[in-house]
Amino acid sequence: MFKSMLEAFLNLFKPLHTGGYPAKEIVLPDGYRGLIEYDGEACIYCDKCEKVCPPGAILFYQQENGEKKYRYNPWLCIYCGECVRACPKPQEALWQSETKQQPALKEEGVNEQWFVWEAACQNSREAYTTAKKAAKTGTNEK
Amino acid sequence: MKKTVQIPLGSQHISLLEPIRFKFECENEKIIGVDADVGFVHRGVELACTRKFEFKQVGYVVARVCGLCAITHSLSYTLAVEKLLGYEANDRIKYLRMLMVELDRIHSHMLCLAHTAENAGFEALFMQIMAQREPVMDIQEAISGNRVQFDYISIGGVNRDLTPDLSALIHKNLAALSEKVDALMMLFDTNWSLSLKYKGIGVLSLENAYTYNALGPLARAAGLASDVRSESSDLPYEAVGYTMVLESSGDIHARNFVRLREIVNSIAMCRNIVDNLPVGEIQEKVKGKPKGEAVVRVEAPRGELFYLVRGSGQNILERVRIKTPTFSGIPAMMEVFKGSQYADAPAILASFDPCMSCTAK
Amino acid sequence: MTKIETTLSSLLADIGTFYDKKIWHFLTVNGIDLGEGKIELQWIFSKYGAKDEIIIYYLISEYETAIPSIIGLIPSAIMGEREIVDMFGLTVSGVEKGLYLDEDSIPHPLRSQS
Repeated sequence: MFKSMLEAFLNLFKPLHTGGYPAKEIVLPDGYRGLIEYDGEACIYCDKCEKVCPPGAILFYQQENGEKKYRYNPWLCIYCGECVRACPKPQEALWQSETKQQPALKEEGVNEQWFVWEAACQNSREAYTTAKKAAKTGTNEK
Repeated sequence: MKKTVQIPLGSQHISLLEPIRFKFECENEKIIGVDADVGFVHRGVELACTRKFEFKQVGYVVARVCGLCAITHSLSYTLAVEKLLGYEANDRIKYLRMLMVELDRIHSHMLCLAHTAENAGFEALFMQIMAQREPVMDIQEAISGNRVQFDYISIGGVNRDLTPDLSALIHKNLAALSEKVDALMMLFDTNWSLSLKYKGIGVLSLENAYTYNALGPLARAAGLASDVRSESSDLPYEAVGYTMVLESSGDIHARNFVRLREIVNSIAMCRNIVDNLPVGEIQEKVKGKPKGEAVVRVEAPRGELFYLVRGSGQNILERVRIKTPTFSGIPAMMEVFKGSQYADAPAILASFDPCMSCTAK
Repeated sequence: MTKIETTLSSLLADIGTFYDKKIWHFLTVNGIDLGEGKIELQWIFSKYGAKDEIIIYYLISEYETAIPSIIGLIPSAIMGEREIVDMFGLTVSGVEKGLYLDEDSIPHPLRSQS
């Protein structure tokens, strides 16, 4: 009883367990799993990252001239790092940084824009394959 | 005239944060009948695992069944798929996986102890335990790179290795925790006001534990020697110094003590693992597609977690059955409520450590 | 893991003679959709104190057939049975719907859609 009262009294002078968060920055540990970063120049466009990504946060848009455009949704990403492990050129084309993603604002329309983009990627692929097929049959006929 | 009163507890209640509803049939203050509704957060994970995601991605999907035992979910799934692919991990991978599971057990048990203290009216102890739990989460964050969703285990290994810096951090934080756990054991045993809410309350007899297939700390507190860590050979628990913790009285006090003593045991195991980590690769290539049926049991903090995976040689699995600890523990929990006072219900419920997002998945 | 086949009519007798609550731990009831209106049902047990000893009683049935309930033998089977009733839209005698699903939910989500 007295012991616990003494304890309670001493607790008044102990340092706080909770830090002064808004004033003090949260310290992230070394090796924090943050955003996925990409370098288009080193990329060989093998699409492996797109295939392994569990939530589908990496998508490639197929342009008509055969080139592909990379797009990444940092809010959909679960930061598991599967894409980096699947990448044939890790650390050059695709790597995991230690930056923490900020929460999205409603104005940014994160979901809506991504859905549009998702559909566009799907369509671009289908259009590209049908165009390619058409070209192929065209050349065959000649 | 009707002699009983119906009192609901949940689905929103100040004493529990989880969406569960109990309907108590009370005779004055005494509970004589219980009805439970647990399906408020059903998300269809099992369906998603067999329709939308490929087997290599499912490990990350099932990790999101539950926040607290994410690592046990991804571990059990990975073990099941590795069995189907005919792959057995090397010792280093097994030890690193065990390390994470045991760290997870420590912080999950501490969360439960904190809630039990809070529901017995001891708010200060709740704060204290939650603060002491933080260093364990720091270790996990440093090892895996994230505080809650570890995504540490993948098919064929683990994603990160243990560096000497990390080993030092683990030793430092566990040494500090170990002292605090000793003090907590003293407090939970001798504090008079806590014993009023704990001792002899919410008793599950050994006979009922057998009848209702109780599991996890609930069963071990009643003296039922049931722990998957000793019943499965998937992970080498005996080699790192696992001992089964058993109590006999079956009340809240016994459940608290099972948890406290398991924390002590887990700390010892973690130290053993860090000191005697075998050498080897942490990631190995696994080829093939899962075919056949495999079952895996893993001891999650709340009890036995069971996975049944069936594949047909395709990328998409045929069936992923997840049986979570709280799900099969509910009949035993309802039995404990019968005969106790309504005022004790929150404390009893907290001592079960129910996880509703696991249950409804 | 041992699998033992049983039939609808002999299920209760089989499990009744096999199950001893002090030796066997009842895990759960499981259903696996086999397509074409067929379903495999499994009753899964594990042995206390033994390494990796799991016994699965299974039978192949159809969705329309009523399944006998084993709650009389193993009271804790209620959760698993309520789950398969919801997820596969089966009829299990004496077990009601509505553990996970509501009136307006998609009925029997785990049944194959074809």
